[in-house]
Amino acid sequence: MLAIGVGFLVAIGAFARDAAAYTAAGDRLFAATVVLPQLAPADEIYTWGSTQPFAGGNWLSEFNGTYAKTITENLGIVMQDTWTRFTQSGGAKPLYGWLNFDTELKYLAVNNQAHEFLLTFGLDHEWGGTGAARAGAFASGATTPRVYFGKGLGDLDIGYLRPLAITGLLGYQIAAAAPRPDLVTPGFVVEYSIPYLQSKVESLPLPEFIRGMTPMTEVLFSIPGGKSFGARTTLLICPGISYAGQGWEFLVEGLVPATHATAAGTGVVAQVHFSLDYLFPDTIGRPIFSQH
Amino acid sequence: MPRGICQRKLPAWLAATVLLVLPGAALAAPGGTVVGLFGSCFIEGGGSRSAAKIGQSVQVGDTVDVPTDGKLKLRLSDGSVVSVAAGTRMTLTTVGVDGAGQRQDVHLSLAQGLLRAVVAPVERPASFEVDTAVGTAAVRSTDWFVEGSATAMQVGVLSGSVEMTSAATKRRETIPARWGARLEAGRDPVPPRVWSRAEFDAVIARTDVK
Repeated sequence: MLAIGVGFLVAIGAFARDAAAYTAAGDRLFAATVVLPQLAPADEIYTWGSTQPFAGGNWLSEFNGTYAKTITENLGIVMQDTWTRFTQSGGAKPLYGWLNFDTELKYLAVNNQAHEFLLTFGLDHEWGGTGAARAGAFASGATTPRVYFGKGLGDLDIGYLRPLAITGLLGYQIAAAAPRPDLVTPGFVVEYSIPYLQSKVESLPLPEFIRGMTPMTEVLFSIPGGKSFGARTTLLICPGISYAGQGWEFLVEGLVPATHATAAGTGVVAQVHFSLDYLFPDTIGRPIFSQH
Repeated sequence: MPRGICQRKLPAWLAATVLLVLPGAALAAPGGTVVGLFGSCFIEGGGSRSAAKIGQSVQVGDTVDVPTDGKLKLRLSDGSVVSVAAGTRMTLTTVGVDGAGQRQDVHLSLAQGLLRAVVAPVERPASFEVDTAVGTAAVRSTDWFVEGSATAMQVGVLSGSVEMTSAATKRRETIPARWGARLEAGRDPVPPRVWSRAEFDAVIARTDVK
């Protein structure tokens, strides 16, 4: 049972749920996501918590804190860590502790405002041995090159479908040492921005609360590449709603497992996010080397 | 009425008559001074149109017309400096200052074109607003840009913050330093975003009056 539990932890940890902040391409703002990493460098701080049932009546709960800082307008670094607790049935002691510290460099390579398109390259590194082994943290680290994209459909003549946007990433996690598996981690998000509808398509007489919402669904795969060391393909589908205020966002999503290896049942995740570049534009919200 | 009293009051009656007949003259008050000029620009007011000159006084109610080959810089009575880009028409609707020259209320109307406003700080709440066809941008003290047309407006902020309000929906967005936002006719403001250096450089170049 313990081995299975740790295996699940490994799978969840491999998702590297370093939550996202909103990012803009022209008048398109891509809402924060929680399962997929963010699209581009930004100055932000956010935290999320999740809980989900696993096989045998076990539960996995996680709390994450993330800080992202821009170095220049196009280059930034993300730092994050996650505290995890695996509650086991049958009276066994829970397994808890910090997972490995994680950092990622991100470079925004393309920002096409007219076509609401972003392309970012990332290099994530999980620092092995910095977390608690009992909680599932690996002794060895892993490096993950990633490519991200975001595309709003606002430049197309499709009427009320213009608020739609699709974002995604493709990553390949390269383990530093066995028995940790390499993983292919593709994912995508489909979102419909009510703020975009109201500001770019047609201002409908919607209630105030609805105007700030962005319904979205995140989908994340984790596929063993090469020798699996017991890891299996996982697929997490996460429908939810984001609500944006001025300089903050709140997001809640369901965590729906699509394979048996993912989880035993539906969980939930909630995130609160603050845009430091909006709230503190003259101090901690500026790039370290700002051209402004 | 004794004849002497009638004669003494005559100038006042004449003045009152002038004010009633010429309301434009009654409202005329110094709103600012032309402090920078490039190309041919014009000041319209009181039914006349004249070529702008450095040092020329611009009255409240006057319209500044900057053709596509010109630029103009105004220092308003409250100390704020407004740089007007080529292809802009702007009216000084209100320029209210107190006895110490501190701003009470400044209202500009931007029919078309681009402005840069370096708004003088004041010690107490006072408004500085720019109206366009589709909305209003209001600030306290800041360095910012506003561009307007019949169908849209956009605001970019170099320092301070600006509140942009849709005339149609009354929804507003606060735009901080280094950010900008757009507003299209009849809709909510687009949520603000960080403007790139290139975007600021473009509007700075258009409003830069040597």
